[in-house]
Amino acid sequence: MSTSDKDFTAQESLQLIRSMIETTKSSISDKSHFFLIWGYATLVGCLLQYLLMVIVQYKHHYFAWFVTPVALLFHIVFVIKDTKQEKIKTFIGETNKQVWMTLGFSYLILGFIFSKIGWQYSFPFYILLYGIGTYISGTLLKFKPLKIGGAFCLFLAALTPYLEYSLQILVAAFAILISYIIPGHLLRNKYRKTKITDNGR
Amino acid sequence: MFKELDPILHSQLRLAVMSLLMSVKEAEFTFIREKTNSSAGNLSVQVQKLKEAGYIEVNKQFKDNYPQTTCKVTAKGIEAFENYVKALQDYLQVGK
Repeated sequence: MSTSDKDFTAQESLQLIRSMIETTKSSISDKSHFFLIWGYATLVGCLLQYLLMVIVQYKHHYFAWFVTPVALLFHIVFVIKDTKQEKIKTFIGETNKQVWMTLGFSYLILGFIFSKIGWQYSFPFYILLYGIGTYISGTLLKFKPLKIGGAFCLFLAALTPYLEYSLQILVAAFAILISYIIPGHLLRNKYRKTKITDNGR
Repeated sequence: MFKELDPILHSQLRLAVMSLLMSVKEAEFTFIREKTNSSAGNLSVQVQKLKEAGYIEVNKQFKDNYPQTTCKVTAKGIEAFENYVKALQDYLQVGK
């Protein structure tokens, strides 16, 4: 790119500004893997717990949630990898990160609360948090599937307390499917398409 | 014709750098070089001019034992950019 000011008209200035802003738009990094890690981990946790509790009738059915530290390990590996590759920080990306950090701590704190008052009350609150997080992310990223999944989780959170515990597990599995897994895959496809289009330019 | 336009910003590469930085929180030097399709030497000179004008902040640090330079726009830079765009729009209105 030249630094010469010759023949640099007002229209060209505006065109340059517009094209540079468009460039950064397509450079927003793909974070869909976090939705997929936690989505699949939670789905496995829910289905395994249901299997152990209802079908096998195993007393320690909550052992299914040992899937959480495994997901956490993958999460840490991806955070390290992303930090190394990150070349820009966007306001949207930073806000999204803060939202999910707050929610992550909230999940942890809820774990302490329910270990004291009883896990039978846990699912409506977890589903509510899935909904809040994905709805905010959907709004920030202007991505409708996340917003729809998030909004639907809010409805499911209100419905869950009226169901017995074993059914609540299945509702949580459905909630994670519509709020993390399906939108996560759609988001991943969207970023991949953008990348292919950019590389083809 | 462009007398009222800020001479620091009315240069293709400096304007490209400022436009990139306006839409992010911060960006690495290598990212700016890649997106503006400029040479490291030329970009360094223009970044230095923007820094001297107080429009951007330049931070040099080490990441995984490699030097890393990041740039971010300052409040003065945002104001100058907004004034520049406004001046451009005024000019285009007059031209209509």
